[in-house]
Amino acid sequence: MEYDNILENLLGRSQFLVVGKSVVRADALDKALGRAKFTADYIQKGTIVVKVVRSTQPHARIKRLDVDGALRTPGVHAVLTASDVPGLNQIGYAIPDQPFLNVEKVHYIGDPIALVCADDEWSAMEGVDAVVIDYDPLPANFTIDETLKKDAIHIHESGNVALTSRIRKGDVEKGFSEAEMVVEETYETPFQEHMYIEPDAALAIPEGREKVTVIGAMQSPFLVREKVAHVLGWSLNQVRVIQAFTGGAFGGKDDTGPLVCAKAVLAAVKLGRPAALVFDREEVAAYTPKRFPARIRYRFGADSDGVFKAAEVDITLDCGAYANRAPFWLWRQTVHAAGPYEVPSIHVDGRAVYTNKVFGGSFRGFGDLAMHFAVETQIDRLAAKLGMDPIDVRLKNVLKVGKRTTSDQLLDHSVGIEKCIRGVVEASDWSHRRESRRIGVKVRGVGIGCAHHGISTSRGAPDWSAASLILNEDGTLTYRTTICELGQGTPFGHAKIVSEILGAPIDSIRIEIPDTDTMPNARPTHGSRGLTLGGTAAADAALKLRQHMVKVAAGLLECDEGSIEMRDGRAYRKEDPSTGIEFKELAQELYVRGVSPAAYGFFVPPRRFFDPNTGLGVSYPAYTFAATVAEVEVDVETGQVEVVKIWPAMDVGKAIDPLMIEGQIQGAISQGIGFALMEDLRLENGKVLNPNFTDYVVPSSLDTPEVAETIIVEEPYKHSAFGAKGVGEPAIISIVPAITNAIYHATGISFNTVPITAERLYTVLKRSEQ
Amino acid sequence: MKISFTLNGKKAEVETSTNQTLLDLLRDDLGVKSVKKGCEAGECGACTVLLDGKPVTSCLILAPQVENRHVTTVEGLVEDELMGALREAFMEDGAIQCGFCTPGVLLSAYALLKENPKPTELEVKKSIEGNICRCTGYFKIIEAVMDAAERADT
Amino acid sequence: MKPIPNFILHRPETLEEALKLLSELEGSRPIAGGTDLLIGLREGDCKAKHLVDLGLAKELRYIREDEGMIRIGSTTTLAQVVESRLINAKAPVLSEASSLVGSVQIRNLATIGGNLCNASPGADTAPPLLVLGAEVTIASRNGSKSMTLSELFAGPNRAKLASGELLTEIYFPVTPAGSGASFQKLGRRKGCTLSLINAAAYLEMNGEACREARVAFGACAPTPMRVLDAEVLLRGVKLDIKAIEDVSSACYGLVQPSTRAHARASEEYRREMSCVLMRRALTEAWQRARRNMR
Repeated sequence: MEYDNILENLLGRSQFLVVGKSVVRADALDKALGRAKFTADYIQKGTIVVKVVRSTQPHARIKRLDVDGALRTPGVHAVLTASDVPGLNQIGYAIPDQPFLNVEKVHYIGDPIALVCADDEWSAMEGVDAVVIDYDPLPANFTIDETLKKDAIHIHESGNVALTSRIRKGDVEKGFSEAEMVVEETYETPFQEHMYIEPDAALAIPEGREKVTVIGAMQSPFLVREKVAHVLGWSLNQVRVIQAFTGGAFGGKDDTGPLVCAKAVLAAVKLGRPAALVFDREEVAAYTPKRFPARIRYRFGADSDGVFKAAEVDITLDCGAYANRAPFWLWRQTVHAAGPYEVPSIHVDGRAVYTNKVFGGSFRGFGDLAMHFAVETQIDRLAAKLGMDPIDVRLKNVLKVGKRTTSDQLLDHSVGIEKCIRGVVEASDWSHRRESRRIGVKVRGVGIGCAHHGISTSRGAPDWSAASLILNEDGTLTYRTTICELGQGTPFGHAKIVSEILGAPIDSIRIEIPDTDTMPNARPTHGSRGLTLGGTAAADAALKLRQHMVKVAAGLLECDEGSIEMRDGRAYRKEDPSTGIEFKELAQELYVRGVSPAAYGFFVPPRRFFDPNTGLGVSYPAYTFAATVAEVEVDVETGQVEVVKIWPAMDVGKAIDPLMIEGQIQGAISQGIGFALMEDLRLENGKVLNPNFTDYVVPSSLDTPEVAETIIVEEPYKHSAFGAKGVGEPAIISIVPAITNAIYHATGISFNTVPITAERLYTVLKRSEQ
Repeated sequence: MKISFTLNGKKAEVETSTNQTLLDLLRDDLGVKSVKKGCEAGECGACTVLLDGKPVTSCLILAPQVENRHVTTVEGLVEDELMGALREAFMEDGAIQCGFCTPGVLLSAYALLKENPKPTELEVKKSIEGNICRCTGYFKIIEAVMDAAERADT
Repeated sequence: MKPIPNFILHRPETLEEALKLLSELEGSRPIAGGTDLLIGLREGDCKAKHLVDLGLAKELRYIREDEGMIRIGSTTTLAQVVESRLINAKAPVLSEASSLVGSVQIRNLATIGGNLCNASPGADTAPPLLVLGAEVTIASRNGSKSMTLSELFAGPNRAKLASGELLTEIYFPVTPAGSGASFQKLGRRKGCTLSLINAAAYLEMNGEACREARVAFGACAPTPMRVLDAEVLLRGVKLDIKAIEDVSSACYGLVQPSTRAHARASEEYRREMSCVLMRRALTEAWQRARRNMR
């Protein structure tokens, strides 16, 4: 089904009613009034408070776990350990290396060991303090180099390498022999902590003895259901998962959702009463999964005209204590290794290794952020060596229709990167800004960063989505999706798609919050798939319902189905608009006549296949492309970098809501600025030293640069509703190298690592002067 | 101990303890859920309330310290014209994403516009310096506050 | 965050009552804005059994000028300092520095006395007050005494206050015509940030000659500090760009930044930046002094 032409082919219209227009999102008023309920807002008095007892050792055996003191603490009702887990004590995401509650061994500082369940926070904390744990410390590996040493201690039985990846395309030897210019560098990217403002939380409520409801902050309700049911040893339909409005997630809550919910559920089920687990800021910052640190050795060769000939990329991903998302992160990173360019010969070797630190997990942009930082920096270095403008080098090699990605996937449509690049070059007056500008102690520079980002879950995992739609007797609509509202507004995007297809006023559609008991599985809200896949399931539901409505309307209005137009909550004859019927009456007619007023939408994009030996094949159904130009101003006396202005561009397929797209891009830009310049999680011997807002510095309002209007490029994707592609992630991927390349332009210093703090830049500048 | 103060224009008499913060009193005992707990260290601003009209972080105030004072949250400004202009501007300008920081930001912006009806962009940024937003990057929030200032003017 | 432990809260309405409580109650501490103290209570740094809330003692909250002195009551909030017409007119370096502490929300709660008694090495209000020649009044049941602000800072996060003693007033002379002061701050982001290093300079000019010079740094030593060895290089000297440069360079060896492994900035960086910030502070102070001649 070619969904991108729904408007012309199926709706018979040439003008959009609501898609492509900026509309006030449905949840905005409740959020402005402070009435939107987040997880912690549901907690009533008398709810059991759950606190987690965590390892203070980075790597150790547990010799003795004594909970007696905790049990005797006033106000403590129970202390739960692994022996209290009725089902599987295993909660690893993809690889079963992660106990739910550790009993034999701990692998990082913060590793959960027990749950104290008490009347209130004070008693719970006292209970935590009263738990006695005797550790038998083991040597710990804190770095990639330590863990890969021949005699390094094994963190998990399977060894310290969790998994590997590879790409073998073309002939790199030949390619390098044809390359006049070769640049080889090693890049290191650090942890990044999401610092979503709402701490992780879950509230579990037992419903009788064989059912439990859990309300929580998450991104994938059905993933949470699966993990919770496994821990309990229950069937899936005994667990009801509800996603409350979530105060920021950026990937992090996809990982913590199951972990936090399962803990609250265990407590609730054991005690037979509601129990809640709410993290404090320190727990969020020190113990929740973070952006994987990575080391990327990149060898890139181009000929004297700047045409890319070959690339050799070696990736080591630092998993921390558990593999978690590593299989997907590393794989995604591997198949994006060439950047949004065609490189005829490329070898990629990747491995994910365990260390005794907090583990890595989902974060906006996934491994593409580190990879594009490497690639985009390489290109600017190559350009400098070649004496070419970095833009020209990019345009020489950029992906276009008919070209192939890193994994040799042929792109047969929907490739807007060139337009993005040309757009921001023009908007930023690039060539003018590339002339050196120094005023006193301030030097300005401009740089570009480009990105491509595959939409949907990685590793070719079968992906699909589902939604349901009901026309109520009064003509209003109830829409159900388990794509989660995290701030990005995706469910509202679905509603707009439904509104467009049915011609129903946007405010007649209520979007219910995700509930596994009542809704079909839309699958996860990640990989920028919420709109592309989830929204197309919405379209499918709407198209099906439309058929029923049109059929009945045609009967009532005595005309062909093809003559029916649906708009503004009314069905009418195209040739005679005054002859029509309000949805309210039409709905009643469906009910009276026994025509189904409900539809289940389902969408599966084309299957993807890849060869595990070469890594080649179709990696993703579609790619979103982005290009961002950044201008920075460096104070050469202090090393401080100010981002002056940003020019973003993105190929979004089809803009369902320009205002929301801009909001996503701008938010991603801010996180990218943080990552590039100020966010620095410091660890010493596995202990996070700055788990707070004071010392893990994220941008404040005063750090906001000027931003040009987003250039929205539309190269529709054939197989999604109206051609829409996901927008949440590519902007953070492109902004980071845009900033670091701008600093390169301003100072001549190209950094292989971030954050580029004032002290770091100053130190390098000083050294380069000497 | 019992304390008495004005909450959103109405008298509130409530039992508390010396070591309960205003934030916990509002959320747990008075059902005021718009005020959020993000860090309990005065750093994120999600717990912002107006104390005698001035924005403060309620996580750093002991409940007994508001005796005889006026505490205002967004619940108490539903009918307020200036807050109405702010709400509309925020909604229409795309300044709300996840919504968790929103009540705190609105109160900081409200206090600014009450005192300075025609702020510069820098003054707007300064006024919300203590409200961290991880979703919007602040761009549309700043725009919305400037927009609200204009709306309130007409 | 650990919950706040139990304690008894006292809310005296006069200074006299407050002093009585502080002297009589063992393990008692004053609380003003609470922005530092509440965090200290949660982290276990402060184990007070009794807290004496100064919020109701209105007599401690004022900003006034009398007989050539500017006097600030210790529970005056930083927001009040920032908004004070008097301070903006006669000691703008203090309101400028105060406006860089925390955020609006913090400044509406935090008090100038609290900021000084917390004695953070990097307190932003300290360098300006040091170069303004500020002194403080310490009151107790037994009477009151004065000390220079430098004397108040006994050590990192330690003010020279015995139990039962309370900082009640900060005062400094009104600055004469031909004087100017400047505060410079280097943080880790532009908004709501702790100082990695800060600096203040105060100059009194007599034509082209510098009649009086005071310079101070924060976050460069265990406490905020005046740099007397730098000041002596400026006093009586004909001020010019070279003189400023020489004094600034000298700061490198005169500051004592932390050598801790996980300090917020390295010792070397702070030394280097002390020169940069001092140059900027002196340059601006000089400009203001010249504009201020009558």
